[in-house]
Parts: sequence; structure tokens; C-alpha cells
Amino acid sequence: EELSVVGSWSSLPLHKEYEAPFWSEKLPAASDGRINVNLTTHNQMNLGVGDVYRLLGDGVYDVAMTVADYAVADAPELEGLDVPLVALTADEARAMVDAARPMVSDIYRDRFNSHVLAIAPYPPQVVFCNAEISGLDDLEGKKVRASGRMTAKFLEALGAEGVNVSFSEVPGALQKGVVDCAVTGAGSGYSAGWWEVSTHLMPIPLGGWDSVVTAMNLDKWNSMDEDLQTLISEQIETEFEDPAWATAQNALVNDIACLTGNGDCPSGDARDMTLVDVSDADFERAREVLVSEVLPEWAERAGDEWAARWNESVGQAVGVTIATQ
Amino acid sequence: MAQKLLGTLRGLNKLVAILIGIVLLACAAIVLADIVLRQLGSSLGGTDEISGYVMAIATSWGMGYTLLELGHVRIDILRGRTGNVGRAVFDLFAMAVLSGTVTLIALQSWPVLARSLANGSRANTPLETPLALVQTPWFAGWIWFAAVAWLTFAAALILVLRGEFRQSEEAIGCFGEEETAR
Amino acid sequence: MITYVTVGLLGLLTLSIPVGIVLFLLGFGVDAFFSPFPLVKGLGNLVWSTSNNATLIAIPFFVMLGEILVRSGIATRTYAALDRWVSWLPGGLVHANIATATMFSATSGSSVATAATVATVAMPQAEKLGYDPKLFSGAIAAGGTLGIMIPPSINLIVYGFLTQTSIPRLFLAGLVPGLALALGFMLITMLLCVLRPSLGGERRVFPLAEMLRALVQLIPIILLFTVIIGTIYKGWATPTEAAAVGVAGAIVIAALFGGVSLRMVAESILGTVKITSMIMLVVIGASFLNFTLASAGLGQELQSFLDGLGLSPLGTIFVVVLIYIVLGFFIETLSLMVVTIPIIVPLVVAQGFDPIWFGILMIVLIEMALITPPVGLNLYVVQGARKSGRMSEVMLGTIPYVIAMLVMVAALIAFPQIALMLPDALQ
Ligand code: NA
Ligand code: NA
Repeated sequence: EELSVVGSWSSLPLHKEYEAPFWSEKLPAASDGRINVNLTTHNQMNLGVGDVYRLLGDGVYDVAMTVADYAVADAPELEGLDVPLVALTADEARAMVDAARPMVSDIYRDRFNSHVLAIAPYPPQVVFCNAEISGLDDLEGKKVRASGRMTAKFLEALGAEGVNVSFSEVPGALQKGVVDCAVTGAGSGYSAGWWEVSTHLMPIPLGGWDSVVTAMNLDKWNSMDEDLQTLISEQIETEFEDPAWATAQNALVNDIACLTGNGDCPSGDARDMTLVDVSDADFERAREVLVSEVLPEWAERAGDEWAARWNESVGQAVGVTIATQ
Repeated sequence: MAQKLLGTLRGLNKLVAILIGIVLLACAAIVLADIVLRQLGSSLGGTDEISGYVMAIATSWGMGYTLLELGHVRIDILRGRTGNVGRAVFDLFAMAVLSGTVTLIALQSWPVLARSLANGSRANTPLETPLALVQTPWFAGWIWFAAVAWLTFAAALILVLRGEFRQSEEAIGCFGEEETAR
Repeated sequence: MITYVTVGLLGLLTLSIPVGIVLFLLGFGVDAFFSPFPLVKGLGNLVWSTSNNATLIAIPFFVMLGEILVRSGIATRTYAALDRWVSWLPGGLVHANIATATMFSATSGSSVATAATVATVAMPQAEKLGYDPKLFSGAIAAGGTLGIMIPPSINLIVYGFLTQTSIPRLFLAGLVPGLALALGFMLITMLLCVLRPSLGGERRVFPLAEMLRALVQLIPIILLFTVIIGTIYKGWATPTEAAAVGVAGAIVIAALFGGVSLRMVAESILGTVKITSMIMLVVIGASFLNFTLASAGLGQELQSFLDGLGLSPLGTIFVVVLIYIVLGFFIETLSLMVVTIPIIVPLVVAQGFDPIWFGILMIVLIEMALITPPVGLNLYVVQGARKSGRMSEVMLGTIPYVIAMLVMVAALIAFPQIALMLPDALQ
């Protein structure tokens, strides 16, 4: 089989350390030459992030992976895969993703004519501020750069004001006060030098975990014999998904150490951002806002059936129930 | 008749171009308003999203005007060295290829809009813009460009067949290059 | 595949098919011959997401700004004022062309817009005062390219957007090399005109009082520059938004110092739509070609080619510079950037080079591509503004300035600080 594979952001560790070795070496080797892979990434193809799964469904390529959140324009119900603040550790995040997996599979089948192969995490999306903050309350009235709809709505519900700034313009925007805070992965923020222009780091997953979904065009999947299907499913779980999750928690701890200097930084020089602890009370209030405002709004966008299904799966795993009419 | 058709097309596209310009100016005004509001501690939100839609729609609708103004860059190395008939052949060939390509673009744009309609897609932003709302005028722009291209081609073909080379060159020639400058 | 694309590009371009359409055709060809997948099904999505782009709206805004300056008469008066100051140099009015282009570069993010602005106001003077048309128009074409080096710059915005580097830092990095290039252009003009005085036409010395009076005419442009760059560095606006500020600024300044009429606004709009659509057809075509090339494995092909050479970091830069010079002859510049950045920049950065520095190096090479035939947009813009004379005169006239750019490339490689000192100092 000749597979053309479109990977996620080529500059990020998930691609460099897990995706690229898996698709270009491990899977072809494990298949004894039955599978041949042609790998590129969506940014190298200059694809709009919202187009990745649309083109996958059309059969333009065979396999694609990117952040599920990029595709919620076509599938609002997909926002339920990655809800902010409900999973604080990698283990909790994996439990959330595993619970959501049947839902996600159905969504990809119906919306994108695709078969879900794996779901792996980007490091959680934390908050960088160039302003004195001591808790979530302090976000009120601040200008915050968010990516993704649910995060933006959540920030608005917390009283912050969402500002659109592209990733590359964030450092300048933080420095000059176009925004006070910005949400991104701790590792991305470290390597892009956001520590130079911000002072405070709030290490809670305010933007969720940014799950990256790997999927295969459904016609392609169905055209393969059962042996090959089993091989791919097994290999991707043990050689890609499990290792990516296994290092996710460590990656977060390391990234925070690198940004704040509390602990060892394996990726380079440690920086000295102020770590902001979120008090339990503060946190409870944010969860309350999430459960009472943000999630019911999502239920309206996605439809009550999806909300009910979410309650039974993800909701049970993380202990949250959305009240629907 | 060919000249009349060309005249009508020019007039319509000029009107479209003026409308696009007004939309662009309005977009600049919105961006400006947002900058001012941010200084006052508030924000309109979503101005860059709106700018993106404006750019997509302005681009597709502006193409026809540029075509008739001979604004799409062409290289004149061989063509400039041939006579009246040679130039007309080059021009008609280029126009046919352009019209075909643009038609393909227009046809391939339909599935984009169709999927947004089928999924009821809304932008992944706080504005939740229904994508079909902005993709419909964008798609229509490409259809318009394809129609303008074929009609211009047909008009130029009639002119060439009648031997009116100067007029056909005015409609589909290369602008601002060697032979017009000579 | 690289051979196919190069040969196909040249062949189709000589058939005088519009450049943007040629890029689409090549994409269809790559799809048909080099890829087992139905890439053409991605065409519609690609066209949508390439043009639905808030960064690119800076293009029509900068073009409109230039149009307003020309049609309000401000551009003409700026040119006349700079003429008073620099025409005593060997080369006379040619220096005014370069100086005017440098000033407009500071308000415009587009080289084509800058060249068009200067050509419109300068060309009538050349004939009146009897200048050698080659050097005179070459200086406008070359001076216009400064539009993308001296901030603001659409190409630097695109570079920052594609490589995830800071756009304000890129803008700072472009300032010194841009001014150095302008100085280099003037030096080489002087050198040529000292050696062959017939190239330069008349040197004219104006009384000091007249020179001082002329300074007033520079106020509008300096105001506009201050407004645009000020809003970026004060943090009021992002670089893209600053283009909108520039349009508003140009209208206000035109109203104060020139004149605004409905007719003038309508003409500015028409000019803007024409140039924007021209650029966008090429940008969208390039984006589709890039998509097919990447799907067909150009990244690996180029990577293994460069790996096979087994080059040192300096060797890599040398080869990359060569690639850009050669591709620059044939490929329109924005497309050249969009097509090559995702492939070349990661390779260069992996060799330990600074992405900001490389962005500036690339801009010099892109400037060169704008004035090298057969595909050099600035050549056509300048020729378009001339009422007589052959295209080849403009091409010959740019040769000295291409040499100045090559010197600049070498200087940037030898002394990266030329680009990096400002962003480092203001960090
Ligand atoms: Na500029
Ligand atoms: Na060139």
C-alpha cells in the first residue's frame, strides 16, 4: 500500500519525535514492506488548518492529523473532545479522550468520511501574562489572546476580553500591551521566546489539551484487508499513541521548569517567570462558570443529543454534567 | 456587436470594482475603529476575521475588472516579435487557457460551499460566522470571473475573425509592453 | 520534478499565458504526472483559504495608500523637493529617483506600489531634462524594490506569517540594510556618472533658500511614516492593521496638503482593485502549485538533494542564495516566497542560522528577482509608466543596482549584525 500522510505542525515535538518516526520508519518496517509512506505536513503544504480533514474526506490524501479544534467549524459537536479545565493531568486528559473516542469516531465518519486511528495530545494550553496576576479572578478586564472558540467563549465568560492575534505577532503584542495575556502550549511559548515578553505563568489548561486526531480516509480504510487494518491499528496505538501520552505529563512539568526555573530544564536555559498558583476557590469558581455558562452554550451549538451523549461518556469520566433543557 | 459586448462588460466590471473599493474602505474603517476602541479599553472583536472574508470576496470579484484592464501579468518575449495575426493567435490562446482554468476553479469552489451548507458550518471563532454566508459571494465572484472571461474571449474571437486586430488587441492584448510602447 | 516545473514554467510563460494561470497549469501537471492522488479536488478549498486571509488585506491597503499619494499631488511635490536636495550629485535627478523611492518605501509595504508611485511622478522629468533613459528608469525599478525592505513590508509580513517569526523584529531588522542599499544605489550611480557623465544628464545646484523651502514638501510623507510605524511600535496596532491606519492617514494628509475629490477616490479605488487582483491571482496560483509540489514530495526531493551535497552551513547558504537568484529570474516574488519558505527556512534554521537574519537576506534576493528579466514585476511597472522606448533599456539600466544587491548579500553573510543589531539593541 502506498500511503500519503499529512502530519501536524512540523516544528513541534509531537511531529518530530513521534509522528515522523512512526510513519516514515516504524510502520513501514513492521509491515514487512507492505506499506510505503509519503510524509509531509499541513504547514509545509500551506493548507488552511480548517481544510485538513475536509480534504482527507475528499480523498486528496490518505491519512491526516491535526488539532481537532481546527475542525470545529464543520462539526461543533467536536468541541466536546477537548473541554478546558476539566482535565488537569495527562492521565485525566487521556481518560477524557478515551471516553470521547466513540463519539469522535462517529463524528469523523459522518462529517469527514474518515476513520479515526489515534488521538494524541499537544501539551496543555496555559496562560502567559505580561501583567501582575495572582489568580483567575485577575483575568477579568484583561485583553487575552485565545485560539479556538470554546476557549474564547470561556475567557469572555470569565470577564476577559478576547483579542485575535496570530501566533507570530503575540510577543510584540504582549510587549506593547496590545494584549495582557495569551494562551498557548507551554512548550511552544518557551521555544517561541514568550518568556522574554511576559512575567507571569498560570499553568492550568485554560485552553484544554489540544488533542491531535489521526484519521484515515474511510474509502481507503475499507479498501484495505483486515490484516493490514489490524496491523495499523495495533502499531499506531503501541508505537505512537502510548509513547506520546507517556511523555505528556513529563513534558508539561519540564516546560514549566524551563519557563519558571523551578526544577531542571532539559530543553535549554531555564527562565524566571513567576509561577501563579490558582487557589481552590478560584478554580471552583472557574469550573462553575464553565459548567453553568460555557458548556450549556456548547450544547446549544452542538444539539442536545450530543450533550446527552457527552454527559454519559466524557462527563462521567471527568465528573461534570451539562444541564440541558 | 462584439464591441458593444466588450463595452458592457467593461462598464459592469468598473461598477463592481468601485463597489469592492468601497467595501475595502469600509473594512479599513472597521479596523481603525477597533484600534481606537482598544485604546479605550474595549474592542469590536473579530476584525481580522472580517478582513479575511473581505479579502476573499474582493479578490474573486476584482479579477474580471483586472482582466479587462489587461492587468494580469503576461510575458511578451515571443509574442512581441510576431505580426498582427501572430499576436492575435497568442492572445486568443492565452484567453482560452485562462477561461478554462478559471472555469475549473469556479467549479471546484462549489464543493467548498456545498459542504459548508451541508454541515451548517460556522467559523471557529467567537463570531461563529455561518461560512455559507461569506462563501456564497466568494463563489459567485469566481463564476462571474469565468463568465466575463468566456464572453471576452468570444468577443475577441469575433473581432479577430473580422480582421479587426487593433480592437482585439485592445481587448485581450498585453499592456504596457514593448509593442504598445514602441 | 524540479526539472519538469522549471521547463514547464519557462515554456508556458513564453506562450504569454498570464503568470498566475501558468502556476495553476503547472499544479495540474504535477497532480497528473507526479502524484497518485486527486489533488485537484483540493483546489476549491485552497483558493478559499488562501484568499480568506486577514494578513493579505495589507496588500490592497498599501496599494491604495500609494494611489492616493500620487493622485493628490503629494508624490509629485515630494519628488520635486528631493530633486532640490540631491540633483547636485554626479547623476543628478537619478538620485532624486532613489531618494523618493526610499521615502515612499517607508510608507508603503509593496515594491510594485512604490515603483509605480515613483515612476508616475519621475518619468515626465526624464524626457524634459534629457536623461539617459536606461539608468534613469533602472534606478526607479531598483529603488522601488526598497519598498519591501524598509518597513512596513508585505513580504516581511508574509515571511513572518509563514515562519512564525516576530514581524516587528523583522521590520526593525530591515531598516539598516534598506538604508544601506539606498546608499549603495546612490554610490554606484555616482561612480558610473563620474566615469561616464553622459549617463547622468545635467547636474543642477539650487540656492540654499530654495532647498530649505523645499523641506516643507517632505512633511506629509514624514507624517505618514510616523503615523504608520508609530502605531506599530507603540503597540496600538499589529503590522497588518497599520496598513489600514496608512490608508486613513493618506486620506487625511491628502485632504490637508493636496486635495481629495470624489473622482480622485474613484480612480484610486480602480487602480487598487486592478493591482490587488493581479497580485492575488499569482499568490493563489502559487499556493496551489506549492500544495501539489508538497504532496508530490518536493520537500523530500529538495532535502535529499541538499543532504546529498553534504554541505557546511556556509555552503548551504551559498547554494540557497544561488537557488534564489536562478528562481528569481522566472518566478514572481510573492509566489517564490510562498513556495520556497516552508522548504528552505527549516533547512537553514537547522544549520544554526537566525531566522530573522535569513528573512532579511531573502528579501534582498527577492528585491533582485523583482528587477531581473524575464519575470520582474518592477520592470513592467516602470516600462508601463514610460511613453516610449524599449523594455530592454529598463533591463539594462538595472544591472548596476543588481550588482549593488549582490554586494549587500555578501555583506549580510559576512556581517549578520547589519540586520540583527537593531532588533538586538531594542530587545
Ligand atoms: Na516599506
Ligand atoms: Na525576476
